[in-house]
Amino acid sequence: MDLELTDEQKLLSDSVETLLERGGDAADAWDKIVEFGGLMVGPEGLGAVELCLIANRLGAHLASVPYLGSAAARYALLGTEDLPAGLAGLDEEPTAITPAFVEPGGGWTFAGVRTTLADGALSGEKAAVEHADAADALLVVADAGGGPALALVRRDADGLRLSAQESIDPGTPLARATLDGVAAPAEATLGGDAARAAFERLLSIGGLLAAAEANGAAEVLLAQAVEYAGTRRQFGRTIGSNQALRHILAEMYVRRTSSWSSILYSAAALDDGAADAATAAGVSKAYASRATREVAHGAMQVFGGIAFTEEHDAHRFLRRINLRGSQFGDAEHHERLLGRALAASRAGTATVA
Amino acid sequence: MRLELNAEERELQAEVRDWLAANAPDPDEIPTHLDQRIPYLREWQARCYAQGYVGRSWPAEFGGGGRPPVEQIIVDQELAAAGAPEFPSVVGLDVLGPSLITFGNEEQKRAHIEKILSAEEIWCQGFSEPEAGSDLASLRTKAVEDGDNFVISGQKTWISWGQWASWCGVLCRTDESDKKHRGLSILIMDMSSPGVQVRPMTQITGHAEFAELFLDEVVVPKENLLGERGQGWLITLHTLGHERGTAALPRQVKMRTWLDRLLADASSRRVDGAALIDDEATQVKLAQAQIGVEVLRHHAYRTVGEFLNGGAVGEDSSTVKLLMAEAEQRLGETAIDVLGPTMFDGEDAHRKANEFWYETYLYSRAAGVYGGTQQIQRGIIADRILQLPVK
Repeated sequence: MDLELTDEQKLLSDSVETLLERGGDAADAWDKIVEFGGLMVGPEGLGAVELCLIANRLGAHLASVPYLGSAAARYALLGTEDLPAGLAGLDEEPTAITPAFVEPGGGWTFAGVRTTLADGALSGEKAAVEHADAADALLVVADAGGGPALALVRRDADGLRLSAQESIDPGTPLARATLDGVAAPAEATLGGDAARAAFERLLSIGGLLAAAEANGAAEVLLAQAVEYAGTRRQFGRTIGSNQALRHILAEMYVRRTSSWSSILYSAAALDDGAADAATAAGVSKAYASRATREVAHGAMQVFGGIAFTEEHDAHRFLRRINLRGSQFGDAEHHERLLGRALAASRAGTATVA
Repeated sequence: MRLELNAEERELQAEVRDWLAANAPDPDEIPTHLDQRIPYLREWQARCYAQGYVGRSWPAEFGGGGRPPVEQIIVDQELAAAGAPEFPSVVGLDVLGPSLITFGNEEQKRAHIEKILSAEEIWCQGFSEPEAGSDLASLRTKAVEDGDNFVISGQKTWISWGQWASWCGVLCRTDESDKKHRGLSILIMDMSSPGVQVRPMTQITGHAEFAELFLDEVVVPKENLLGERGQGWLITLHTLGHERGTAALPRQVKMRTWLDRLLADASSRRVDGAALIDDEATQVKLAQAQIGVEVLRHHAYRTVGEFLNGGAVGEDSSTVKLLMAEAEQRLGETAIDVLGPTMFDGEDAHRKANEFWYETYLYSRAAGVYGGTQQIQRGIIADRILQLPVK
């Protein structure tokens, strides 16, 4: 039992960092990630831990790429037996996939899904579909009569209409998707128990990737705030020598590093198929959503007025952290679910090793 | 990266679990009054030691098990999960024993290590003083050289298990010319020496688990110096960091057993006709307590991993300490809040559990203070990890 990254994992993280440091526009960054193999998900390729390492670096650079959905969709389908042809081999095409899950008036559970799949046609309305413009296809979560179905639909499919909606984070554009009898190709649709399992995995990996990305953003904000506190002088001394700020910064450090530990644990548990994997993912998402926001708020407090200006980067990180914090369920959502599960279990057993 | 135990480790886990199922004492039979509890706990530790469950990773030549550190962690987690009582040698096991192994000489190790493990010797640590709490390095207890001896005078406080200890690691000033940490040494003091006076202090839990120590010209032979003269501060930092880092895993298991107990109580107790646990606000509070314990476990796996792979627990032990206290305090408060009016209903059926919850809650308030307060830990992080300027 240890969570030390392997040399390969460290190298992966460093390589993605180097690749992103070279700059370029969003399309450039996306091409480089794909070319690098960032979507090569599978038992022989990348697991949840590796995907989280990549998402973490993307968050640190506030990259505006359709990675989260593309990685989450592939990971969710992993391990499904007899995967239909159109959902197998997603390492090639379509490249950029974005999940279409939540709906107006619904939350991050299947109970909120009113989009239907009937007679091979999808009808309904989806909200907060991220990077829709950059996506090649949407992974639509639909109600196939009491249980979830997952259908991969081309962005240019007949009957699918996308319209931009507001997003707190300009780096993560969101869209409404209206599905008006869109054909769900049989070879790219999953139903039954397989869909239920894949949907559960989508919730877990989606939440972890969102948390990992927010964590990368928090890491940068912490570093910038520490640097600023060490150079900015007031009252004849650096502001970082004041205990009030030192303790804020120390607390930011604790939240950043402990939420990252939790994300890594849950990702490894998911890869291992551990019995507590889904619970662990919920714990991590709940904790990381609060923890990363605390880091962002702390950083803005350390920066003071300058962080309230449009030109300062802090609000960009704050925005990303907030958006990722709410996707796949915010802290309150997961706390309710965890609490309900505790009540259902009455007394569980102690978790050992 | 590895979450699962390997075959050998699983075998050990099963062995310990089986042994505890047959041998762990019934919690109701463990005396609560410390005068009876201590002898009981000594015997319990001796049995566990005979079984190979104490000091499992300590050097075999001095009475330890000589096994990899991960095995002790596995054993400790099982002990916690089984609700086994604490060992009375806890200070020797967690703090001074590891210091003896790292800094002690051959004779010292031969004299004490095995006895610490078997609970024949209970140790205490004489660190804090009335005027040197968080600012430990400003302590005033002094040891004056006199021929082959040091003569110690001063006052120590918060001495856990002090009234039962036979030995004390006294952090004291051996060099008056250096007022801060460079003039400090650790002396191994026989508690039965003339001039040692112990005054028990009753804690808010009602138990006198710690004591004050008055030292009036206590003679300690020079061979009882631990490490080098002037090395006291280094040894203190080393051992406190070690203590914080590795204690987290068994601690989180213990907290998980408390959470389970709380879930059971919240399920069986009713207020206004409804089970407490059916209330959504209660469920959310319980989930928040669960998150605290789980994140502590996740983070401890990461730091312990570094330790098991040859690194030091080191600076990040402050993070572990903060998370550990936070989780414990949240759990203690949650219990009181969740059980609400049933904590005061005078029901016989609730009495024993309520005593446990009050004690757990009250005890948790110490978690943010002992071993360096939460504020001291944040200061350590600001200084050593973030390297923030001091002026």
